[in-house]
Amino acid sequence: MDIQRVVVTGIGVFTSIGTGCSDFWQALLNGQNGISPVESFDTSKYNVHVGGEIKTVSPEPYVTEPQKIGRTSQLGIAAAKLALRDAAVDLASLDLTRAAISMGTTSGEPTQIEEFDDYFVGDDLESAGAEMLNLYPCHHISAHMASELAFMGRNTMIPAACAAGTYAIAHAFDMLRLGQADLALAGGADSFSRITYSGFAQLKAIAPERCQPFDANRKGMIPAEGAGVLVLEPLERARRRNARIYAEIAGYGLSCDAYHMTGGHPEEAGSVSAMEKALLESGVRVEDIHYISAHGTGTPTNDMHETLAVKKVFGDCALKVPISSIKSMLGHTMGAASAIETAVCALATHTDCIPPTINLDDPDPECDLDYVPNQVREHRVGVAMNNAYAFGGVNASLIVKKFEG
Amino acid sequence: MDTEVIRSKIKEFISNAANIDSAKIADNASYVNDLGLDSLTMLEISVDLESEFDMEVPEEELANLKTIQDSVNLVQKYLAAN
Amino acid sequence: MSQRACITGKGVISSLADHPNKLHHALCRGQCGLNPIQLFETEYIGGEVPQFDARVYLGEGNLRPLDRIAQLTASAAQLALADSVWTEDMRSEQDVGIVLGTVFSSVHTIGAFDQIAVRRGPRFVKPLDFANTVINAPTGQTAIWHNLRGINSTLATGAGSGLLAIGYASDLICSGRAAALLAGGAEELSFEMLFGFDRANMLSDSAESAVPFDERRTGLALGEGAAFLMLEAVDQAQARGASILGIIRGYGTAFDPIRGQDADKLQTAMAAAIRAALAHAEMSIEDIHCISASAYGSPMGDRCEANAINDVFGDQTASLPITAIKSALGETLGASGAIQTVALLEHLHQGVLPGICGFKTPEMGLRLPTSSNKNCTTNMKNGLVLSFGHDGNLCALVLSKA
Repeated sequence: MDIQRVVVTGIGVFTSIGTGCSDFWQALLNGQNGISPVESFDTSKYNVHVGGEIKTVSPEPYVTEPQKIGRTSQLGIAAAKLALRDAAVDLASLDLTRAAISMGTTSGEPTQIEEFDDYFVGDDLESAGAEMLNLYPCHHISAHMASELAFMGRNTMIPAACAAGTYAIAHAFDMLRLGQADLALAGGADSFSRITYSGFAQLKAIAPERCQPFDANRKGMIPAEGAGVLVLEPLERARRRNARIYAEIAGYGLSCDAYHMTGGHPEEAGSVSAMEKALLESGVRVEDIHYISAHGTGTPTNDMHETLAVKKVFGDCALKVPISSIKSMLGHTMGAASAIETAVCALATHTDCIPPTINLDDPDPECDLDYVPNQVREHRVGVAMNNAYAFGGVNASLIVKKFEG
Repeated sequence: MDTEVIRSKIKEFISNAANIDSAKIADNASYVNDLGLDSLTMLEISVDLESEFDMEVPEEELANLKTIQDSVNLVQKYLAAN
Repeated sequence: MSQRACITGKGVISSLADHPNKLHHALCRGQCGLNPIQLFETEYIGGEVPQFDARVYLGEGNLRPLDRIAQLTASAAQLALADSVWTEDMRSEQDVGIVLGTVFSSVHTIGAFDQIAVRRGPRFVKPLDFANTVINAPTGQTAIWHNLRGINSTLATGAGSGLLAIGYASDLICSGRAAALLAGGAEELSFEMLFGFDRANMLSDSAESAVPFDERRTGLALGEGAAFLMLEAVDQAQARGASILGIIRGYGTAFDPIRGQDADKLQTAMAAAIRAALAHAEMSIEDIHCISASAYGSPMGDRCEANAINDVFGDQTASLPITAIKSALGETLGASGAIQTVALLEHLHQGVLPGICGFKTPEMGLRLPTSSNKNCTTNMKNGLVLSFGHDGNLCALVLSKA
């Protein structure tokens, strides 16, 4: 059986700076800030108070019965419907038993366990229902998406923390190449979580005001929520229906540091390995990469190690390739991040525009690459790379190519 | 509170977090150089300290806690002040 | 696909045994691993791993960073690595990966972490526990413990996740993306996990009423455990002189969009998953010699499964040996499909399919394959494992002994 080429025909995101595709992309290119004071829970006992919550728009209108499902599922459904609309998929022409969903997440539906914990600590478990079974487990996210869209094909949830979006897209890429599906919705979603916030706050890893990747004064990451879903199809199918094609997924590489749960490998071994595998599979040389969407969380250690990893892989080209972190605008959307960033890579190749790293006031001498500071860059992007690094030492790199036929 | 009670508690926290036999921890062991603790484990121990003695260790003081004696001194200073 | 994925090792931790052969014999003796749960206060019975001590499997290293589910996962992984003779030296030379299926993962740690924040305030949450509040924590901890630097993936696609993990891993092997992968599942019994099932009235209150296909069944008993297969590319296994224990012939999945609320749709989807597995394995119904069923004591679910098997196998159903191990181990959710597969491989090698623990009388009118509480001694090469989630995702897998 011939291995199919896989292309991106639709993009749908749900974030604090915009939803859909074009509004979001415009906001990104304008360097819009999506960070604001946290409102979904009381932060008075914390030393930090900002996050990337989605406040101005709700995913509920996209969902048939929103009261019956968790917020992360709602975000996934909203992004999926936006992506399908963007792809102009005629659902009536689709064999729904071969329409697949592959989603990633870090925490699933954390609000459900947070509510359980409130009841538990308050000695009020009688008031709790069956949500810990019917709403909490993260398989509900992709299952709710499938039920909402009547998709009956392969349905997979890959909770690979902050690399989950890439893992889910990689899985969809494989499914389509192997003929296991005709179309796939692939991406990631996470909703704002008190548990996540408490943990990063305890680690003193949250920046007090702004996320400043690669800046000399960067103080940390900023937890956020969001969803990003791509419509992926085999090229043949996309051509047959005259779909608008954003880009081609060319290959990926996955690895594990096997070193530390929250800190990276001291010699960047795992992140280097993931990049090298992605380059090898896609047949792309480092000279061909015109944009890297960085993991770029804004923590002192991540940004430094990520810079070193890029230098190890790219050699002399490292100083020339533009790299930006959209986490400077969105904060860290956890399981959605690498899905949204893959969408950004597709849009970069499609429009030859590169979003900036905002808040880059004072470059760190140890982070001396071209981080596209503060202003959008117009630049031909033939090939883009997305990198993601997660708790558990999980690393994922994905290559997106400009589609030229 | 008796210094040795405080020290014994700290050794207990180290033992729990790092799986080191309390009896084998020197009274003034250095967290990194002698015990090889990583930053996450040291943070866990300082949270245990805060919890046990109901105190708050300001972030800037955390970085100065290099040895068990440093932690004992900090706890005693806090207890004396309160 | 260039080749099939072969099985070069296996490991299991369960309420009945921590070795596939011991598990097989315990099942053949009709032993029941369901007992009053000791891990937390409850009146329910469950398949708790009794006196689980990870040091038995992992040695005297620092286990503090690993919570119970991570310890179960890493312990089962250790057993599979030892069984497949993937030594520490070999793992430092070559990347071995891991794919883990789970439903609730480290929910107990997540709950305990957050309960401190609620009760005392966020500045008292435990940093070492924060690392385990991500759903892929057991997979990450196991990779660190065993130096597994390859693909590190976690699937949380319902109760069939452990079986799907084996299928997903076999795809990665067959397409050349990985040369060696631990594939399996893990689940930990916890109050947070049990609470929802209790509220949803899905739990049975005795072992007798949690017997698959039996007329007395009223619901499930929960269990815990972990199991892994070591999967490798056949040429790699041969090149290193590994023992090949079996072959993953194929797998199939289906999704029920009504999510278990409509018996007809559920049954149709179950049958679709079985057919998809047979198609992927390029096998016909005559090639299947036995079935390890997913049935766990659900009045509707077990009936749908029996009907789905009938639908696919037709007249062959009556003579097809079937076992169902959840009355012995409990419903171990994400671990279940992996434990079933490890056990089935042993059943195939021993030529004995265990009877269903506690089985007395089939539900009236249920057309079942040859099922009873008696062991079936017969020549079997190919087995079908079914792992059907309770709300939508269904998985079936075909394997052969070598």
